[in-house]
Amino acid sequence: MKTMKRLLAVTIFLSLMGLLLASAVPAEEMKPKATFDFNKFPDMSDFDPNQPVEPGGDTIKIAIVASFSGPAAAVGEIYYACVAWAAHTINKQGGLMVDGKKKMVQVFKADGQSKPDVTKKVTERMILQENVDFLWGTNGSHLQKVINQVADKYKKISVNAASLSDELQEGQDFSRYSFMTTFSTEQIGRTAAYYYGQVRKKEKKFYILCQDYLFGHSMAEAFKKGIKEYYPEAEIVGEDYHKLFLTDFAPYLTKIKASGAEVVYTGDWIPDAANLLKQARQMGITLPFVDIFMNEPRFLVEVGIEGTKGLVNIGQYGIGNPAFRNEEQIKYHKAWQNARTKWKAPYDTVLYTHPSGNIGAYITSVYWLLSVVERAASTDPDKIIKVWEDDVYQGPSGNVYKMRACDHKQIGLLTVQEYVPPEEQKQSYNIPPYYWFKDCSNAGPVHEVPIEKNLPKADPTLCK
Amino acid sequence: MDASVAMYVAQGIHGLAYGMILFLVASGLTLIFGMMGVLNLAHAAFFMLSAYFGYQMLAWTGSFWLALLVAPVLTAVFGILMERFLLKKVHAFGHMGELILTVGVSLIVLDGVKAVWGTESLPLKMPPILEGLVQIGGMQYPIYRLFIIAMALMLLAILSLVLYKTRLGMVVRAAVSDAEMVNALGINVPLVFMCVFGVGTWMAGVAGVAIAPILTVFPGLADQMGMDAFVVVVVGGFGSLGGAFLVSIIGGLISSYGVQFLSQYAAVLMFVFMAVALAIKPMGLFGERE
Repeated sequence: MKTMKRLLAVTIFLSLMGLLLASAVPAEEMKPKATFDFNKFPDMSDFDPNQPVEPGGDTIKIAIVASFSGPAAAVGEIYYACVAWAAHTINKQGGLMVDGKKKMVQVFKADGQSKPDVTKKVTERMILQENVDFLWGTNGSHLQKVINQVADKYKKISVNAASLSDELQEGQDFSRYSFMTTFSTEQIGRTAAYYYGQVRKKEKKFYILCQDYLFGHSMAEAFKKGIKEYYPEAEIVGEDYHKLFLTDFAPYLTKIKASGAEVVYTGDWIPDAANLLKQARQMGITLPFVDIFMNEPRFLVEVGIEGTKGLVNIGQYGIGNPAFRNEEQIKYHKAWQNARTKWKAPYDTVLYTHPSGNIGAYITSVYWLLSVVERAASTDPDKIIKVWEDDVYQGPSGNVYKMRACDHKQIGLLTVQEYVPPEEQKQSYNIPPYYWFKDCSNAGPVHEVPIEKNLPKADPTLCK
Repeated sequence: MDASVAMYVAQGIHGLAYGMILFLVASGLTLIFGMMGVLNLAHAAFFMLSAYFGYQMLAWTGSFWLALLVAPVLTAVFGILMERFLLKKVHAFGHMGELILTVGVSLIVLDGVKAVWGTESLPLKMPPILEGLVQIGGMQYPIYRLFIIAMALMLLAILSLVLYKTRLGMVVRAAVSDAEMVNALGINVPLVFMCVFGVGTWMAGVAGVAIAPILTVFPGLADQMGMDAFVVVVVGGFGSLGGAFLVSIIGGLISSYGVQFLSQYAAVLMFVFMAVALAIKPMGLFGERE
């Protein structure tokens, strides 16, 4: 009997060790196979998204399928500035050697108008008429799903740099032609829970307020899962889902206040994120929000330094403090800032101040794609897939990303940024003027959440 | 005040405040339909346009009050121009022509604001005097929301007084009842209708500037309010100012108490209310059969 018990104990111990080892990501697995080469970084002072230099002839063609009209048109313009910046970098270096020829990178705008049917139409037009090699998108999982389906049908590579739902790369939705170069809802929810349960260890009462559609519910589920895993003593004191583009958040905020919550977890994006924060502060509710999109500087400035203090933002672009660790990174950052002084509307706003955060992540995704193209020496989808699967790339921020081969999801370190007033931002923004933004709180202390603690959801039918 | 009582009271005041904003938007829409028989689908676009005008005025002058004064007037001018040069010409062809025209105008306004102000969310700050909270029975409540309630009530009173207690109001009501007869009496009926249209768009303009400090000014603003305002007009009864007022209040309260008690259904409660109300009174609560 005693022997049996010992055997059982050893078995359990070994199983647990096995699980731990399986979930950990060995350091050599994250050793970059390619790195953003600062030595090749050209003079970018002539880059202007208002007047892009369009290369002619035989080019590597990337179509940005996004909203360039309608209420979300600003999103398409952000994407364009990012993709065009990365393309300009490569073009100034003389292009890439592809299929035995030096080719420049050409960028196309494909306006999906935030509508699935239009998105399908323009994506097909890009493939059939413009002959694009790569599809890059987009704002909304339902739209990205359409892009991925079209990519699969025509055997073109689709890069998802902005839609966060894990489901896009799972089950029947998975396509070997689609690559997710962004963090996912699962990673975000678990990272938030890890931060509060394992790093901060203060607040214990959380309220979930998300938008009432797939993405909002996925964000909430991921957070609840993370809380169970990393912070079991914490309590979800309330959970609500509101309609998109809500006008009045006051009833929700009153409920939140009455619930005794210490933190509000939300996946809301603009304009809901902006209205939620503004209305909370107008109502005297000073609770911190933990989020991913409550970082748009224009409305943060409107809410002011006090109102934005204590916000917690989860990011995928940077690493821990300080943000700039070498001269090359500073040079790169300054190159963007110098170039943007000439940009006109819609690229002349405070949103484009820094090539970091979401902007940094979008740019990095294009650099990664082009690095894969360079190493594959081809735009042929099968060759691209071969290089990209299990590829590990280090972007300009120093963060390292891996493309998980089984489901084409990005794995990487995530950061949790605590927002502090400008005078305390030096610990993060360690170059003059020593703050990210003068008129609002922004990243101060930045915590790294290790890769093995934030792994994206793995579909067991794909990742065995 | 007990914490749970304070919460229910706060939800009630939130409902009133949102109801008043709804009323400001819906009153112009119902006024125009009631007086002129025109269903102006560009109404919500004018509401948004005024918010942009308000943003611009604030950026130029730094005064919220000037923005609240001037932006609705500019919006009304646009409304009058639309009535004078576009709507009047298609009026003879019936409602279909008016519908298509007003949808077209709303699209032009939407693209116009994007061309002028871009697509980003723009801030419109409230004046410092209306910032902060006030104590109501031991509960704190934002001053700005109380200001909205007070302003909407004041506008309702003025509008009702003008319509039902003045000679001008009498002329307007008479023109609605029998335009030909009033015209024969030497009153310029087209001018009266143009003014009514101007007042209707002005009301939307006031709502646009009033709500902007709570929201952000962006091209989707019209969609945010347009549908709710339309429900108010339909349920209140086309053309009924009193109906619009009552349904706005009910809508606001449904919205806030819906979140409190039936959160997962909050988004559809207003439409359930509409369905029930129309099933009982197909012409709307205060609508009259022609």
